[in-house]
Amino acid sequence: MSSNSPIFELRQITKNFGKLTAVDHIDLVIAEGEFLTIVGPSGSGKTTIVRMLAGMETPTSGDLMLRGKRINDLPANKRPTCMVFQSLALFPHRSVGENIEFPLKMSGVDKRERRERALELLRQLQLPEDYYGKNVTKCSGGERQRVALARALAFDPEILFFDEPLSAIDYKLRKTLEKELKDIHRETGKTFIYITHSLEEAMVMSDRIGVLKAGRFVQVGTPDEIYSKPANKFIAEFMGDVNIIPVKSSGTGKLISPYFEESIVPPIGSDITAGYLVIRPEFLRFVSGKSDADNVIAGKLYNEYALGSRVQYQVRVGEHVFIVEKLRQQAPAAGTDSGVMIGWDAKDSVMVGN
Amino acid sequence: MGRFRLSQGLKCGLPVILFLLAGFVAPLLAVVTYSFMPPRSFGITNNPTLANYAEIFISNTYIAFYWSLLFAFITVSILTVICYPIAYGMVRVFGRWAAVITLLFTIPLFVSENVRLYGWVLFFIKNGVLLGSIRSLFGYNFDSLLFTKGMVLLGMVYVYLPFMLFPMSLGVAMVPNDTREAAADLGATRWQVFREIELPLSMPGAVIGLLLSFVLAVGSISESKILGGQVIIPITHDIEIAFTYAQNWPLGAALAVMLMVVVGSLVLIVLRRFDLDVILGKR
Amino acid sequence: MPGLNQRNRHTLIWAWTLAVLIFIYLPAASILLASLTSSRYFLFPIKRWGLVWWHKTFASLEVHQLFTTSIIMALCVTVVAVSIGFFGALAFARYDWRGRSFFQKIVLLPIFFPQSVLGLALLLWFNALGVELSWKTAVFAHLVWIIPVVTLVISIQVYSFDPALEEAAFDLGASRWQVFREVTLPILLPGVFSGSLFAFLLSWGNFPLSLYTTGADTTIPEYLYAKMVAGYTPGVPVLGTVSTFGAAIVLLGGYFTIVWRRGRRK
Repeated sequence: MSSNSPIFELRQITKNFGKLTAVDHIDLVIAEGEFLTIVGPSGSGKTTIVRMLAGMETPTSGDLMLRGKRINDLPANKRPTCMVFQSLALFPHRSVGENIEFPLKMSGVDKRERRERALELLRQLQLPEDYYGKNVTKCSGGERQRVALARALAFDPEILFFDEPLSAIDYKLRKTLEKELKDIHRETGKTFIYITHSLEEAMVMSDRIGVLKAGRFVQVGTPDEIYSKPANKFIAEFMGDVNIIPVKSSGTGKLISPYFEESIVPPIGSDITAGYLVIRPEFLRFVSGKSDADNVIAGKLYNEYALGSRVQYQVRVGEHVFIVEKLRQQAPAAGTDSGVMIGWDAKDSVMVGN
Repeated sequence: MGRFRLSQGLKCGLPVILFLLAGFVAPLLAVVTYSFMPPRSFGITNNPTLANYAEIFISNTYIAFYWSLLFAFITVSILTVICYPIAYGMVRVFGRWAAVITLLFTIPLFVSENVRLYGWVLFFIKNGVLLGSIRSLFGYNFDSLLFTKGMVLLGMVYVYLPFMLFPMSLGVAMVPNDTREAAADLGATRWQVFREIELPLSMPGAVIGLLLSFVLAVGSISESKILGGQVIIPITHDIEIAFTYAQNWPLGAALAVMLMVVVGSLVLIVLRRFDLDVILGKR
Repeated sequence: MPGLNQRNRHTLIWAWTLAVLIFIYLPAASILLASLTSSRYFLFPIKRWGLVWWHKTFASLEVHQLFTTSIIMALCVTVVAVSIGFFGALAFARYDWRGRSFFQKIVLLPIFFPQSVLGLALLLWFNALGVELSWKTAVFAHLVWIIPVVTLVISIQVYSFDPALEEAAFDLGASRWQVFREVTLPILLPGVFSGSLFAFLLSWGNFPLSLYTTGADTTIPEYLYAKMVAGYTPGVPVLGTVSTFGAAIVLLGGYFTIVWRRGRRK
């Protein structure tokens, strides 16, 4: 994603519902053609932001700019945007073809052209052509997703919004659809704005991720940045299992932690004196001696979980549990309850302040 | 923001509200006003008086009230027993046939009461369907079975059955299947499942059915006239007489007001406690 | 679930229901039988069968007039009730607004109300307003209780309507009017259809309200009642049967239409 011109700009956008502030003075610049995902727990305000962008809610205050023009009051049907709803909102009383053709019908395109375009979209989304006359309620979950997407594409919007469309689908189908969405994004070159509560899903598809909490963005960055340089504990934990150690500066350039006796070599470049050290499970490894890594601590192998191609180990150090993840081939020889040493390199850890 | 706009809901509801104000609230207010007018007068411009209400108690007209309430109560009790098995069947037993059966129970609703009650007259009258058959088959001669209190009750049970049945079915449908199965799984006997799970959970529907059929039964008039002759005079009949033969509109109005007060309080008390959205199927 | 007694229980329930159904239709059967005698009086078992009274009834000018009155009234009631009730249903079930739960209870009141008392109240009201009684005032009277019924019937359909559908249509470029025409109305049509059926039939068969408010005009139920209390008239069973069968046909027709349309979409 290169530095494209901004297509959407949110300036101090706020949305209040009565006494409840759902979105709190956020600023965001969305580049044209990027795949931006807004991630956050339920109630964080992500759906509200997207609804404001789409035109279904008006901001309480702030400016919504589309290519430099203020569009706060522009109604949804006049915006070059289209939303794929969580429930998909497919018209149950119309066939697949009629659903897809709907936006074309609204803008007055004639029958033959509509049909051609609909068939084209069916092909693009890998749906059989004879689905054209099929009743939408008879389609499977994955097929309905594709019909909803085809319908949105038929509108030919510049920006597409996705409101947690994959949350109700089983794992395998979700993975397939994630890849397909990414492909369509590449093919069409449109701006995609995606909402989900799963950071994992966001990592797969996005150019950039914005992490939202209680109506404010806590970090906006590329997946890599979010993953390896989380801005705070919340984001670090949001990804899933992670090791977070409370630390403070020992005064001699090292860190000490209440969790164990050894002092820790901090990552270079961090000037935080008290906070948390974040180490991802895959950066911890089993070592045999103190010189095998920058930081080594001793503990007891407590439990192991098979996670497909990886294995997760729980190592007890004192009263706290460390999580180590290894690929199957790198499994340690030790068994449960045996003493082990785990270590990590300073460059593989991150300091966060809160 | 801050422009005054009627909410979408209010805009849609306005026609109904206005209509009911003009067609329901206003007439009822007229009746109340009339009830305070001097007896046998017409028009609403006279001086208010309580003479009519006094008259009701002095002339024992309130006994008619007692009969109406009693019969309504008996009717509703009988209906509860009759309808619950059917309501249960609609939801859990009839399967594909439930729609047809519902339809069969619905059709009579659209035929005028009088016609339906008349059928009973033809059935029970001397030389009617029942007695005529008995006479020709067995040779016994019975007198007409009409014009008894029992007949009136039969008529009332007959007419108000659908009004008990349908809300009850809604109530039974509200009991989720897995809750029943869970209870059975936890060791409850069939009777216990019924008592602890089905009965309480189907209560809202049953109560609405009770309320609806009771209120309508209190207002019944055709059954006692057609099937009962003069064996009992329900309050509605007294009201009608006051309005027609007796030409005493204020008295009729006063009687009507008392009936409305009884009915209205019952309805408000019961409906207050129910969330109609849940009962009628909001997800 | 204990399966041992279930079969017996279900059989009992079926038997009970069928018994009650027979009970419900006995009067209709009696009337039908009564209409098939050609004698002036009703004697059962019927000795002289004949359709003579059917001929006489259908030829009668008076009966034609009654039919016309009843049908016109029912049609007016249907049109008005469905138009007003449709929006009432949206207010009842779709939109969240402040007066909503109060509105819901108010709408239900006329249903939970003794009709004869309502009829008399309306009589009083019309009199106080100086309005002359005719079939038009009766239409108004019918509407007072039928509008709430239609509102309720359509509301049941509205409850399962997904508001996201309207939003999606709007998002896809439709104007507000197009949203209504393409999405809202077609999806709610089954409810509107049921509501129309209810409105028509309830008006057609209504007696208590008509009795007090039709004035000089007469509906079929009123006519039947007058004849009934005056003594036995052979025309009454004929009209009564027509009424019953008419309602049955309309209802069954409506039901099968809905089923057929649902099947067509497969």
